[in-house]
Amino acid sequence: MSTRTTRAVLASGAAVTLTAVAITVAVLTHAPNASAATVTFTPVADTYVDNSSTGTNFGTSGQLGVDNSEVKRTFLKFTVSGLTSPVTAATLRIHVDDVSGAQSSNGGTYRAMTNTSWSETAVTWNVQPAIDGVTLGSLGAVSRNTWYQINVDALITGNGTYSIGVTSSSSDGADFDSRETGGTAPQLIVTTGAAPSPSASPTSSPAPGDPVLVGAGDIADSGSNDTRTAALLDGIAGTVFTVGDNVYPNGTASDFASFYEPTWGRHKARTRPAPGNHDYNTSGATGYYSYFGASAGPSGRGYYSYDLGNWHVVSLNSEVSTSAGSAQEQWLRADLAASSKPCTFAYWHKPRFTSGSNHAPNTAIGPLVQALYDFNADVVVAGHNHQYERFAPMNPSGGLDTARGIRHFVAGMGGAGAYSFGTIQPNSEARNTGTAGVLKFTLHANGYNWQFVPVAGQTYSDSGSGSCH
Amino acid sequence: MNRNLVAALAALLLAGVVAGYVVHARQSPAARDLGAQSVTAHSVEPGLQVLSNGVLSTVSLSDPQGARALTPLQCDRAHAAAGTVACLVPVDAFRGTHIQILDRQLRLQREIPLTGFPNRLRVSASGRMVAWTLFVDGHSYATTGFSTSAGILDTKTGTLVPTLEDFASTVDGKPYAAADKNFWGVTFAADDNRFYATMSTGGQRYLVEGDFAARKVRAIARNVECPSLSADGRRIAFKAAVDGHPRNGWRLSVLDLATMAVTPTAETRSVDDQPLWLDSETIAYALQRDDGVNDVWTVAASSTGQPHLLVPQANSPALVN
Repeated sequence: MSTRTTRAVLASGAAVTLTAVAITVAVLTHAPNASAATVTFTPVADTYVDNSSTGTNFGTSGQLGVDNSEVKRTFLKFTVSGLTSPVTAATLRIHVDDVSGAQSSNGGTYRAMTNTSWSETAVTWNVQPAIDGVTLGSLGAVSRNTWYQINVDALITGNGTYSIGVTSSSSDGADFDSRETGGTAPQLIVTTGAAPSPSASPTSSPAPGDPVLVGAGDIADSGSNDTRTAALLDGIAGTVFTVGDNVYPNGTASDFASFYEPTWGRHKARTRPAPGNHDYNTSGATGYYSYFGASAGPSGRGYYSYDLGNWHVVSLNSEVSTSAGSAQEQWLRADLAASSKPCTFAYWHKPRFTSGSNHAPNTAIGPLVQALYDFNADVVVAGHNHQYERFAPMNPSGGLDTARGIRHFVAGMGGAGAYSFGTIQPNSEARNTGTAGVLKFTLHANGYNWQFVPVAGQTYSDSGSGSCH
Repeated sequence: MNRNLVAALAALLLAGVVAGYVVHARQSPAARDLGAQSVTAHSVEPGLQVLSNGVLSTVSLSDPQGARALTPLQCDRAHAAAGTVACLVPVDAFRGTHIQILDRQLRLQREIPLTGFPNRLRVSASGRMVAWTLFVDGHSYATTGFSTSAGILDTKTGTLVPTLEDFASTVDGKPYAAADKNFWGVTFAADDNRFYATMSTGGQRYLVEGDFAARKVRAIARNVECPSLSADGRRIAFKAAVDGHPRNGWRLSVLDLATMAVTPTAETRSVDDQPLWLDSETIAYALQRDDGVNDVWTVAASSTGQPHLLVPQANSPALVN
């Protein structure tokens, strides 16, 4: 394809000579393929480290440096999203700063990195991610106030988060503009083909009639957002889940009648709930169990399971004992052992992992997370913090685990007043507060899609897919 | 305040930045974008302590968007004054919340286990008094979605008040006893005894004036949250619930204690923070983006001007001067 071998050097409108290693460089002379689409991304994080300032972070400065004396390394992170066709080409553009000394005989070596979870304001020389991936390309001499391009086809394969590390073997350092500069921020230009590849995701290709599981937590109160999220459910078929705090303030029969019944109540027949602490503000959550009846599992117990297509779905109770050896933990292990489904989905109220500022990560639920991990569960959804958050697949300790990890969500945006975020926790991939909505899962034979569906008039979105393990 | 102490503290806290920059500036002319030249080894310019997604950090006030010196300390909320650094340490799988009181070289002086989730933290201007607010679960009276717990430590005497709910309170001049009292957002006067805080009860959020030694508080105004007393003790910057209801968000405002007149600042976005007086005319505060990333902004402590971004990707500001 023509665009794969065409690389541009743009210097205030004119081409300049550029020495490049391991990449093909040419002046862009013809228009891209008319059927191809090009999307430009700016970094979600960029910074550099300096071995003469080992504890200093440069994450919010306007520059990025590469040098070998003092040693400076630059880190770039891009999140590619919204692509619906296969990537046919990807180019990194980077601009040399318009200050004296920014130019260099060596523009650095660009390499892929495994670590995509580093934070722009936390990286220092002392605490820096490894530059451990394949070499994407190198730049020779770079001039002040000039754009340069690197072919990064080998790294960018589709939607996802990517890190690039830049080092230099020269004591003549180069200084580039960081994302903070705006117009001269680094760019990732991704070109996609016209048609999706038929073999793009064989394990999670949607089939008509795949079951849908849709819901949220922290739902019904005297405000109006519960009305708006209930209206979303009117247009989404499937099973409705709740992740607790179904009704405020106290989960009484009167609260259910006043706030839940007029909103989410019209979907009660297809709802499989989980209880929260506000439901338990009524002793024994009797209001909750009376209202939902058999849909909430054995009355007073609060944990139960059911199957949807190829999925085993478990609703748990974070408001009673969840310790190792507890009745609930023993039931969960037996329930998972008895399941023959290849995929497992679990939900409850208090999140094991959250960056919310009102409720800390709930370590007490850890034994249930461990049991789910031991039985290769795939998805966990909780609530409690009134916001949305999505984590990468993680092991029970919160470490990234792309092989067996469980993808955790917080879906506390069902209607109650929004909460702030605190310190953003490792492996948090997407967050939003202030947008009420529901989280919709389409459960495929061996995978799933998730989609944050915002209430009318709101624009936040988050979607993606995963495979079962 | 002792000016020599101020200078020494500023120099110490900026030492990491300074040492790096002298070299950096000489070798790389391009470093001037980072404000390197404005910080020298002889500088006594004040610094600003912030949290960078939980990492205790210091930036130069002359170039707050430039380099920042990171410490190994992780805090959910931090504050500092006059050589006392306070850090509300995040929970982990092995330990619950606790507060660490450190000296200017970040050597641990005292550690107190706490219950709840860090929210507000203040050190008095002298460095003697430390007050914290945490969100707590499980108060049986908690019907509005949250309850809080606010405590105070006198680092000089060691006196610890685990919760202000134990203090006697008066509302409208009468003794007030209610089970649903919640306190948050403590700020100290210069005498290290008088303080202000928010007391929430019966759906009202009062500004209370407290007497630490006498263990009492009295309500003096309504709809005042997260007060921050100016250095001259005459004004309080705070967040005022819009139309009196937190559901509508908060307007950053200033209360004149002599006239009790409230002036909304030019910051019209909802501010959920305990503000900081940078100087007699300027207050700083964190604003959170929808994705949870915070920025520190400033605005005039009047109805004039407009907000300015001070430190991107930071919160919990404290002046170390």
